Amino acid sequence: MSSPPTSSGEQPLTEKQKKNPQFPSLPDDLVVRCLARVSRLHYPTLSLVSKSFRSLLASPELYKVRSLLHRTESCLYVCLRFPPDPNPRWFTLCRRPNRTNKKSTDNLLVPIPSPPFPSARWSSHVVVGSDIYSIDGTINDVSSSNVLILDCRSHTWQQAPSMLMARDHPTANVLDGKIYVAGGCNVPDSSNWIEVFDPKIKTWKPVTSPGAEMCGSDTIVSTEIDGKVYMYGGYKGVAFNPKEGTCEPVDWNMCKGWVWFSSCVIDNVLFYYDDGVFKWFDTNVRLWRSLKGVKGLPKFPSHSRVKLAGYGGKMVVLWDMHYGASGYRERKIWYAEIVLERRSTKEIWGKVELFDAVCKIPESYEFVCVLAAIV
Amino acid sequence: MSSNMIMLKSSDGASFEIEEAAARKSKIIANMIEVECVDEDKAIPLQNVTGNILALVIEYCNKHIVDDDDDVATEEASEEEEEAKKKKVDDWEAEFMNSMSLETMFELLLAANYLNIKSLIDLVCQTIANNIKDKTPEEVRKIFSIENDFTPEEEEEIRKENAWAFG
Repeated sequence: MSSPPTSSGEQPLTEKQKKNPQFPSLPDDLVVRCLARVSRLHYPTLSLVSKSFRSLLASPELYKVRSLLHRTESCLYVCLRFPPDPNPRWFTLCRRPNRTNKKSTDNLLVPIPSPPFPSARWSSHVVVGSDIYSIDGTINDVSSSNVLILDCRSHTWQQAPSMLMARDHPTANVLDGKIYVAGGCNVPDSSNWIEVFDPKIKTWKPVTSPGAEMCGSDTIVSTEIDGKVYMYGGYKGVAFNPKEGTCEPVDWNMCKGWVWFSSCVIDNVLFYYDDGVFKWFDTNVRLWRSLKGVKGLPKFPSHSRVKLAGYGGKMVVLWDMHYGASGYRERKIWYAEIVLERRSTKEIWGKVELFDAVCKIPESYEFVCVLAAIV
Repeated sequence: MSSNMIMLKSSDGASFEIEEAAARKSKIIANMIEVECVDEDKAIPLQNVTGNILALVIEYCNKHIVDDDDDVATEEASEEEEEAKKKKVDDWEAEFMNSMSLETMFELLLAANYLNIKSLIDLVCQTIANNIKDKTPEEVRKIFSIENDFTPEEEEEIRKENAWAFG
């Protein structure tokens, strides 16, 4: 706009030629073919290059190429809340570019857009492919039927069809690509306690189950192993089998572990962490066993909130610790990757591959969830 | 070992002789041969490729045509031999790509795209990807000749929120 008129007959140089005359510029489709081969861990950095780069990194074309090249990978997402701000904050794990400061860490949680919708509490979160579903609990203390989707490719939010029932503190699990939501209804009965969403046809359907009679209205946690949804509520555990539409009571041995602590399922094995020990549930003998190995992690403070998740076959652990530079007034979230190895039917070993402080957080925070999407 | 030779001519007038089988790595040239618009005495003009880049393309095609011949010769190659051969090709490709500047790499990618040589496009894209993955946004801008089109206000916001990325 403000470039001076050229008085000579020479062709003015384009901006590109002026800036970097020796480099030819690539058409977008070739840039996409290069970017598709870069791990998503580097995308947050690359999206700061320019607006056009940023839009290429979120483009459907890029994700088509990644999928054609079999370059899809697990990407880690974390949701935190910093009271009194009621809005959830979402982050994704990324790798810091070549560091000049060797003291800094390699991995970081960087912010992504938060949902532009009324913020809910007690939501349940599940992953279907590259989408994270937030099955909302209460909005302004009222049960909600709201469902939000985070598209992890473009980091955009949209509203999914609402559930049939408004639910307070529902639990959600994915089986065969479908989302089963249970509990939290005001007047629970066998026809409304569970409903299922098929992302392919974007429809909710009620599921008949005797779970409400067995578990009461509230389910506090749930997980999925062996094609069944395990739920716990009203001091009882039930295992719901969607294929047969049946609910069976779950033995106390199983419930006494994972229900109370942070847990995750990796390769159909349920893990939880409590007080310095990782345990896994041996479904053959219905006993909790200790995860062996796991050496080298710092000791988690007793007040620390510890969260587990499966991440591309590995287990990731997140926890918080105060740090000295803040006069112990602020905390950082730490992150560890643990490679799992099954050595026998009775033994699983964990090897700590890396750990890092990934994010500074204020003193008051709430750890909402950690999930891995396939992008 | 008699095979058809064809002539290619670069945009700056350099001529290259190449075995037809090697030239067929390029879908564009293979197409021209199929529809018989290649006159044996005349060189195929490649208007978008300079001589120094065409030399690299031909080096790549020649190398890979030899490998393809090997495939036929040793039909019952053991897994180990297969692996060893693959490693040899990988090593050659790594050295081939290592020998050139990023600038040349970009030119080579444009040429491979124009000539439609899929395996070469893949190789160069992967090398460029390896080159940019640990770079800061500023370094990537330089590599891709990209202008920073964020407004000064956006830029400041980005720098504030993403200080980690600028080393």
